[in-house]
Amino acid sequence: MLSLLAVVALAALGVVTLDRQIVRQFDGRRWSEPARVYAEPLELYPGLALAQPAVEQELRRAGYRRTESGDAPGSYRVLENRLEFNARTVRFADGVRPAGRVTVDFDATGVSAVRDAGGAPQAAFRLDPLLIGCICAAHGEDRIVLAPEDVPALIPATLKVVEDRDFESHIGVNFEAIARALWTDLRAGEIEQGGSTITQQLVRSYFLDNRQTLSRKLREALMAVLLDAHFSKRDIMTAYVNEVYLGQDGGRAIHGFGLASEFYFGKAVNELELDQLATLVALVRGPSYYEPRRHPDRLLARRNLVLRLMAEFNLVSPAAAREASGRALGVTGGAGPRPGYYPAFIDLVRRTLRRDYRESDLTESGLMIFSTLDPRVQSQAERALGEELGRLDRSTRSHPGAPGVPGGLEGVVVVTEPQSGDVIALIGGRQAGVAGFNRALDARRPIGSLVKPAVYLTALESGRYTPATLIDDGPIEVPLANGQVWKPQNIVPEAPGPVPLVRALAESLNLATVRLGMDVGLPQVAGTLDALGLGPVADPVPAMLLGALSATPIQVATMYNTLANGGFRTPLRAVRAVVDPRGKTLRAFELEAKSVADPAVTFELDQMLVAVIAHGTAAGARAKLPPELVVAGKTGTTSDYRDSWFAGFSGAHLVVVWVGRDDNGPTHLTGASGALVVWTDLMSVIKTSSWRAPLPESLDEAWIDWASGELADPQCSRDVVVVALPKGADPAVKPGCGRQAAGASPQDFISRAQNWLRRLLR
Amino acid sequence: MLPSMFRAPRPALAAMCLALASCGPPLRYVAPAPAPATRVPPPMATPPAPQAAPPSTGTDQRAPDAGPARPPLRIARVQPLGPAASALVREARAQSARGDFALAAATLERAMRIEPDHPRLWIELGLVRQAAHNYPQAEVMGRKALAVSDDHATQALAWRLIAASLKAQGRPRQAAEAAEAARRLEPES
Repeated sequence: MLSLLAVVALAALGVVTLDRQIVRQFDGRRWSEPARVYAEPLELYPGLALAQPAVEQELRRAGYRRTESGDAPGSYRVLENRLEFNARTVRFADGVRPAGRVTVDFDATGVSAVRDAGGAPQAAFRLDPLLIGCICAAHGEDRIVLAPEDVPALIPATLKVVEDRDFESHIGVNFEAIARALWTDLRAGEIEQGGSTITQQLVRSYFLDNRQTLSRKLREALMAVLLDAHFSKRDIMTAYVNEVYLGQDGGRAIHGFGLASEFYFGKAVNELELDQLATLVALVRGPSYYEPRRHPDRLLARRNLVLRLMAEFNLVSPAAAREASGRALGVTGGAGPRPGYYPAFIDLVRRTLRRDYRESDLTESGLMIFSTLDPRVQSQAERALGEELGRLDRSTRSHPGAPGVPGGLEGVVVVTEPQSGDVIALIGGRQAGVAGFNRALDARRPIGSLVKPAVYLTALESGRYTPATLIDDGPIEVPLANGQVWKPQNIVPEAPGPVPLVRALAESLNLATVRLGMDVGLPQVAGTLDALGLGPVADPVPAMLLGALSATPIQVATMYNTLANGGFRTPLRAVRAVVDPRGKTLRAFELEAKSVADPAVTFELDQMLVAVIAHGTAAGARAKLPPELVVAGKTGTTSDYRDSWFAGFSGAHLVVVWVGRDDNGPTHLTGASGALVVWTDLMSVIKTSSWRAPLPESLDEAWIDWASGELADPQCSRDVVVVALPKGADPAVKPGCGRQAAGASPQDFISRAQNWLRRLLR
Repeated sequence: MLPSMFRAPRPALAAMCLALASCGPPLRYVAPAPAPATRVPPPMATPPAPQAAPPSTGTDQRAPDAGPARPPLRIARVQPLGPAASALVREARAQSARGDFALAAATLERAMRIEPDHPRLWIELGLVRQAAHNYPQAEVMGRKALAVSDDHATQALAWRLIAASLKAQGRPRQAAEAAEAARRLEPES
């Protein structure tokens, strides 16, 4: 008797504990929603050089679909030299754009006019920002939470018909259904029907694992009854609609109809068509069994079953169900890494916000995060890196003598806009669409010759050197602190002797650079590196001058961004603003800059970096780049060819590329043969502009002889290079040309310039 | 001074601005690839496009360390902003006038993405920072505008912004120098 009482008491205690757990978890989790990250929206304005097909593609990317009339929300129509679309209501970081009809006109050069519904011209119109990812909790659940009023009525109605016809009347479990299921199972000899109510399914998804044990079944049933007792049917149904597991995207679990609708059909749930809605309901039964890519036939059959039930229970007309049954699945997302999912960039976003927000704020509060990502540049970068690494892998295999494992090359690409420091594309590894080791942020690698611009900038800043100053590239011995002597070597053994600074940097001459760096001082060079944004150098040893210090690609990007931005350092930025679900801006990341290097001296250096691509180690890039595009950059190669770097910029973009191996093995690549190829490919396809800062008033631009650094007239010397020199720093005049120069009057100069301009205008 | 013979073509183009100012179309219509490609390596020979031409010419004898002062006004060729960026600037000004500085800055950044590194946009952003009492950033924006502008009118505006920001930061002596630099660049009235 006593023991029976004890059992009952224990059971009651168990039920109470369970009850508490359910209420707490259900209340707590009902509205948890990861922060959603949006890309930079495409700005449409008259004069935008984007042709009609490209803009149409952007509309499709944003989930707009082509129809005859373009009347429905989220649809567009195509006319001659015109796109008309019905824009959805969307929220930007700085406010809401109401829904409305938009007309975009095109001419031969691109967008010629943008007008609103009333025909009023719009100076600048932003397309919907693309959803590029979420900040999910560790277990990788992702969802777009729908409020009860946002759930189209047909979804609960269909779910009830298909999954749980007595949902409104049962107490959380349905004994009749269980009995029926048991009977069916017995007759069929296998488990066919679950007999689980929607409430039970919700409990299973919320609280339990998927083991099919009797005790788990009992626990599930008990919890379902408790849940039903505490919450309304509508709450439970809404929770189910948001909770139900509907697919997998790599490590990301697709939960709820809101996200599934975006994931499979690229549209909001209220834009779903009948067949699409039925497809999502069909997936409830088993997203992997009915996986649309692998098992389209299974899914199609089950979708049509759902449609038949919908007609049978008068949710839709038989004719509509028949028509919908005739349609193809039309699934756009589904298996495999989805294009347009950017784990490396999202990782940067997450780390940016981790300083200000708790992890749970990010994964549960439904924040909207407006980022700087440009999806067009990102996909170009992914393609460029993928193609080049594939090509390199094949060429490694074709050289069986080469040591090292064939394949296995990894790569990183960072693209920024120098003036703002905005990171507009980021690739953390070869499989850009797969989350994993984020090399862009975490791989600390020796930077090799990428360090050299800091040495030369320090020299120019000292006032004792100009780009035309000669520096000896002969053998040098550097006594070290430990009493040993360091004898650096050039890659190419023969020393050209004294060379102008511009050439020493462009050809990445080691001996000249060490001589220069030792002369201006290691602490000074380390200070320059820190000021530019690479970070503090713990131990400035002589080998630092040749890049024996490690940095991550994002640090390298920070440093070169400062060079590209004329000596103004700006923190790299991935997030513009964080907005809460009610539309209130919680945090805005404003553009900030700091002047860390004299603009004129930076100009001298940047002009030298132009020579790297025009004349130096990166000259191979020239053939593939548009001839009129002025770009600057620097190659980097580390010992035994382990790391291949290129960092370079145009007027509008900085691109840093690293190619190497995770095991730090040799790649047999120089900066010019690996990273530069990716860089060049990317620079030649993205819409960019020439580097062309105005010449500072304190400088003159001059032609100098590549070998001697003497002033040279391009009329009589072939091997010349443009450098920017401080006014008054007049180098010697190259013999042979000097006589002409002496006889030239300003009038000659003007008339020659006129001839030159005339040639140009012809 | 360098013998003019060796000066790279950019100053030559500036000289052309003077020579052709009265007889041709505005120089921004010049093709962007003025490469005297026959004698020199192509990329080297590609001077930045004409609108980037500095106002300095061979007549400028000032030493580089003579401070911010510049020679008297020659030709100030102000590059106008395009219609999209102009409209966004108007919007930003209205937002700033309402005290919505963050919004105004965001609007200006939209304009900057349409016209990267336009000096007038840096000045506008600096004015918003100034209105928001963020004087150190207002000063940086002014210096950035100065670095990317090649006409005296814009440079004068940049110096004015820098002067006001320095003054607000409690650096009256430097502010006065900046104001003087602005005055030298402003047309005499």
